Parts: sequence; structure tokens; C-alpha cells
Amino acid sequence: MPANIIEISAILMFIISFYGLISTKNIIKSIIFIVLMEVSVVMFWLSFGFSLGQLPPILSSIGGMEYIDVVGIENIADPFPQALMITAIIIGLSITAVNTIMFITLYRKYNTIDWDVAKERSLTE
Amino acid sequence: MLELMLFLWIITACIILWEKRHVRMVLWLGLSSFVASIIFFILGSPDVAMAEAAISVFSTIFFIVCLEKYYTLRNPEQKVVSSQKNDSLVSHGLRILFAVFLFGLFMYFSPDTYFDPHLKELYIRRAATDVGGENIVGAIYLGYRVFDTLFEALVLVVAVVAVIHMSHFDETPPKDEKQSEVRKSNVALFLMRIVAPLTIVFGIYLVVNGFLTAGGGFQGGLAIAAFFICRYMVYDIYDISMSKVNKMEEMVFAAISILAVLIVFQEAQALIPYHLLPMFQNIYLIAMNGLVGLKVACGFLILFYRYIAIERS
Repeated sequence: MPANIIEISAILMFIISFYGLISTKNIIKSIIFIVLMEVSVVMFWLSFGFSLGQLPPILSSIGGMEYIDVVGIENIADPFPQALMITAIIIGLSITAVNTIMFITLYRKYNTIDWDVAKERSLTE
Repeated sequence: MLELMLFLWIITACIILWEKRHVRMVLWLGLSSFVASIIFFILGSPDVAMAEAAISVFSTIFFIVCLEKYYTLRNPEQKVVSSQKNDSLVSHGLRILFAVFLFGLFMYFSPDTYFDPHLKELYIRRAATDVGGENIVGAIYLGYRVFDTLFEALVLVVAVVAVIHMSHFDETPPKDEKQSEVRKSNVALFLMRIVAPLTIVFGIYLVVNGFLTAGGGFQGGLAIAAFFICRYMVYDIYDISMSKVNKMEEMVFAAISILAVLIVFQEAQALIPYHLLPMFQNIYLIAMNGLVGLKVACGFLILFYRYIAIERS
């Protein structure tokens, strides 16, 4: 079972976006739900080993190398998921840019915002 | 505070689920990103919070340009064509059941602990001596895991190439009389004139000071790209040659690869005398942050200018 409330919220958000993705016929809405899904994955990674009031993993905010043991390792946030998630966020923005430009190309070609209509028009072409 | 923010975050997703109007959907998405950024800050990760806040600006711009194109290309007399067959209640119910089933599955199988706590302790204790700097997150993505940064930069290059090739436009922007919408509003113009110089100073500060405090190449690069957005909005200048910026981006990517290979993979640190090592590490971190910032700024500048070309065409 999940350890804390943030993990549960992230899983809930992922499922809501997944439901939106499979239930909508609107292309723009699908792209928006892909963005939301990505943010929820970031939230899930950042929630590992979380407890309220953790300090950011920056030595100047802790006070220096010699204060690590005074503060305690368990009161410092885990730096490893954060470093992974910064790259993931930038990649997510690139994905959004490519998605929206693909939508514009699709709209120029089939003149619709609906997945089913686009599918029909591409088949009858 | 945390529970309230998480509640708001989930509520925005539910509102997007029921919303029918496109512009409102995009605005709710921006709000959702902002709330997520506040939660990241509470979770003790100011770097990720800063990146998320910057991301929400860019994704909103992309969606707004996309919608504007949709509304101008749409024939006003023609009614919106949607598929005739509506979903039956059974298929709705099946989807909801599947989503609930997945939720239960995730809740049941998510374990209690994920990472070895020794890894966290190792990074926190040794990052300052192994890689240098005081920002441990920056030390990880520029030192221990520099492969991630290399491939992230590669993905950005691929995205820029894809956007350039999918937007069928010439190099020169269209010379029309159309001006940006902001020029009609004096208050927005006045505010942007004040904010724009602050943005670039803040971006350069984030890049240069990123190894000491929260910040770094990604966040600073996004702030520098935001300065160019303000510049376009206020002065309506569209004069930067895209092919030159694109070439520069590729050169910067090559420089990042060479620097990373020489210093991290070839372990150049072993050749440096011990008393010069901290200075060498700081120079490496500043150079790498600067290159990454330049790379991200160039990439998103190209993406933004492509979108402007689409909007104006």
C-alpha cells in the first residue's frame, strides 16, 4: 500500500487523466490529458520517502557539510528523483510542442477536431 | 496547506474532464501546473518547482496558438462536425470500471519503499567533494548522471527538428501589418516593459548561480527564452534568423557532449592538483550550466518563433 497522501493523489490524478484520455473524442483535450499525466508521474516520483518539513537538498540551505548530521539525513529531501524529474519536465514540454504542431497539421489536412471523423476521412481518402 | 493544494490539483483535472470550451480548458491546465509547482515547493524541491512554473507558461502559449489557428481556419458557416454515434451507457460504464480497477491495482501493488536510502545518503554526503558546488540536484545531473542531460538535450534537438519540418513555412517571416494583440492594451505593455529586463537578469542569475542555490541551466534557459517572448510582444520584433539559431543550438549540443566526455567520462579531475580542484569544479559547473541554458534557450526560442510564424501565416 502507498505510504503517504501525495502518492495516493498522484495515482488518482494519473487515473483521472487516463480516464479522460480513453473517454474523450476531442484531440486538444487528449493532448491536455497527456500533459496532466506527465505532471502526475513527476509528483509520484517526488513523493518517495517524503515527510512534511524536509529541507531542500542544497548545502547552503542546510547550513554546510558539517550540519548534515545535525539536521539528520531523514530531514533532507531525496535529491535523486528531483534530478531525474527536471530532465523529464523539459522532455514533456518538447512532447507538448510536437503534439500541438501535429494537431495543426492534422487539422489542415482533415479539417476536424474529432478523432473519429479524422479516422473516417483518412480511410475514405 | 498540502492537503488543500492536492485537493485543488485534483479538482482542476476534474473540471478539465467536464469542460467543453477549449480556451477555458487551457487556462485550467495553466492553473493546474501552477498548483503542482506549489506542491513541488512544499515537497522540498525548489528546482523542479521552478521548472514546472516556467513550463506552464510555454505550454499555455503553445495551446493558445494552436487554438487560434483552429478558430481562424474553421469555416464560420460550417457547423462543428462531430461523429454521429454517441457512446452507449455500457461503454461509459466499462471505461469507469476499468479506471477504478487500475486505481485499485496501482494502490495494491505500490510498495512501501522504493530507493535504497544509502544512495540518498551517498549523494548528500559526497556530491560536494566529488562534483563540487552546493546544489546537490545540479551535481547529480551534471556529474553523476550526465548521460541523462546529454540525452535530454538530444530529445530537445529532435523536437525542434520535428517542429521545423512539420510547420511548412519559409525562413523569412510574413511581412504583414498584423501586430501582436498585446499592443492594444497599454497596461499590459507597460507591465511587460518593466518585467522583460528583470526576466533576462533573473535568467542569467539562475544559470551562473545555479551550482550554489536552486536553479541551473534548464530553469535559466527557460527564463531567457521568456525574455524573447516579452521582446516580441512589446516591440513586435521578429528579426532573429532561425537558421543561425538552429546552427548555434547544434554547436552548443556538440560542445555539451565534448565537455561531458572529456571531464566526466575521461575523469580529467584526477589530473588536476588537489588544491586547484574546487576552482576547477566550479568552472566546470558554471560552463556546463551555461551551455545547457544556452541550449534550452535556443531550442525554445526556435519553437516559439515557429509558432508565431504559424499564427501569422
